[in-house]
Amino acid sequence: MSALEFLLAGTLAAALPLLLAALGEMVVEKTGLLNLGLEGMMAIGAAIAFICVYHTDAHSLGFLAAALVSAVLALIFAALVIVVQANQVAAGLAVGVLGLGLSALFGKSYESQTISGLEEIGLPVLSQIPVVGPTLLTQDIVVWLTLLGTVGLWYMLNKTKLGLIITAVGESAEAARAIGYPVGLIRTIAVAFGGAMCGLAGAYASTVYTPLWADGMIAGRGWIALALVVFGTWRTGRVVFGAILFGVLSLGELTAQAIGVAIPSQVLASLPYIVTILMLVAISRHQTRVG
Amino acid sequence: MPDTIKRRSFLKGSLAATTAIALPMRALAQDVLKMGVVLPSPEADVGWSHTLMEGVRTVQEAYGDTIEVTVLENIAEGPDADRIANGLVAEGNTMLLLGSFGYQNGGIQIAQRRRDVSIIHASGYLTEPNFAPFTAKYWQGTYLMGMAAASLTKSKKIGCVGAFAIPELITSINAFMLGAQSIDPEIEVSVVWVNSWFDPASEQEAAKALISQDVDVIFSNAQDTPSVIAVAEEAGVYAFNLNSSMKEYAPSKYLGVVGTDWGPHFKRLVDAHVAGEFPGGNFWLGMEDDIVYTADWNPDIPADVVSQIEATQAAILDGSFTVFKGPLLDQAGTERVADGVAMTDGEILGMDWHVAGVTSPLPS
Repeated sequence: MSALEFLLAGTLAAALPLLLAALGEMVVEKTGLLNLGLEGMMAIGAAIAFICVYHTDAHSLGFLAAALVSAVLALIFAALVIVVQANQVAAGLAVGVLGLGLSALFGKSYESQTISGLEEIGLPVLSQIPVVGPTLLTQDIVVWLTLLGTVGLWYMLNKTKLGLIITAVGESAEAARAIGYPVGLIRTIAVAFGGAMCGLAGAYASTVYTPLWADGMIAGRGWIALALVVFGTWRTGRVVFGAILFGVLSLGELTAQAIGVAIPSQVLASLPYIVTILMLVAISRHQTRVG
Repeated sequence: MPDTIKRRSFLKGSLAATTAIALPMRALAQDVLKMGVVLPSPEADVGWSHTLMEGVRTVQEAYGDTIEVTVLENIAEGPDADRIANGLVAEGNTMLLLGSFGYQNGGIQIAQRRRDVSIIHASGYLTEPNFAPFTAKYWQGTYLMGMAAASLTKSKKIGCVGAFAIPELITSINAFMLGAQSIDPEIEVSVVWVNSWFDPASEQEAAKALISQDVDVIFSNAQDTPSVIAVAEEAGVYAFNLNSSMKEYAPSKYLGVVGTDWGPHFKRLVDAHVAGEFPGGNFWLGMEDDIVYTADWNPDIPADVVSQIEATQAAILDGSFTVFKGPLLDQAGTERVADGVAMTDGEILGMDWHVAGVTSPLPS
């Protein structure tokens, strides 16, 4: 397997936890809220999914449970900021820390256990193409479903009335309320959706991508996902691009080291972040309207 | 109001009972050694904290009821850890085990303030009469693993997933290289630094990146989870790790473990503390101290190499062989250690260069 094949095969899987969490957060932010608790919601999802799959060996159950539990955690955030009108930053951080703590608690006796991941599925016909076929076009089912779901999300946000309502709630809550939309309810649902997506992201990390459970295994991916939403200027396509770019760069850095490229590994390791900053600068220069 | 009275009398009664129990307890506490343990990660079935706790259990078995151990796990390095260590001392723990490098500064302050408290500290360099850091000579074991790796590799490319490029890890990789070259001089070692102590997903990607470059034996250097080991098993390449065995995660491709058994060291230091003779200072512990060992060797290693490994291990044990002995060249081909000269412990512990044969550049 060449370095290129390694990158083609691994990038989508590396990008997936970031993509799922970032898309969820994007919807939350589109309704005008900011939930900083991604890391914690991913962690609790990872722990719950791992425990489920460890005992039942059913990945679908693990993903479902993770989405539910993380959504419940997100609803705590919703209750704090929508009902009690608490500070969003503080509430988000609190929920994040709570999620991390609970994930450590629940996962305690599963520390460093492993399970089997998911089989990779090649796309019919297309997976026969040399180089690209067995690598890029052979992924596990979650990758394929996520790509489908992403298209669905894009359609919902840009082509349906629901998408317009979400945008209205985010851009002018007063106006949306005045014409009769239940702003609080829509925001609550968005927050729950964001939580569920984080749960799925965590579930993918612990039951398919690695697949093992260890406290702290999310290792900052929640924060990267948060940055990706800004990077993608709240547009589905750009968030996807950002997640994949981040996946390519983080794998590319490791590959460059394995090949023996004479660049210090710290420079390579910071490459994804440097590129993110550069892209942000480039986007804000070329586009006055953001969002 | 009979209810109130009942509650009041109950409170009174329970207060008396507590005092009655507490008094003899306090008298007894004089004879019980209180030991506090601070760990950087949760204790699992494998990994760094696990091996430290195995060592603590050796002490507990020896002391039975006369020792009371308080364990605080998953404590992040920094002010929080200092506060927790101070709290342990305030609660009457006179023996502390601080299980991570970053606990050093807080620990030293306690040692300077409280001479009656003895502190064992993992992998630091500062010392006090009552503060004793310890480091394992992993390099003795990784040299042997290098010999085994050289006998099994087909591509003549072996690799290492490293956490951070610090001397302790660089030294282990250099020894791995030297051991491999002692069997086959053509072997090359590639290193991928993850630049994180803990990120299982990146560690796995690093291992996969090495495998994509035809590396067929991987050294999992300082990963606390079986991340790298599990990937190696799946990809059909050999792998080994440090501290505790991860054979169950790679039943067929597990090369072996360079293990550490801290029990004898902790026991010696606790004995000394009880006798009032705690030896402050640096402890660099190896096979000759019964601390570093190798186990779970893969049966695929050819018999002649097994006997060579055994002979080398015996020579390390009796002191007739040292791993870092000249002539040693660095990656640029410059002679760093002259022919016949052995590096001192201090030089080995400060090693910030790779030996020739390691192809990856060292982060500066």
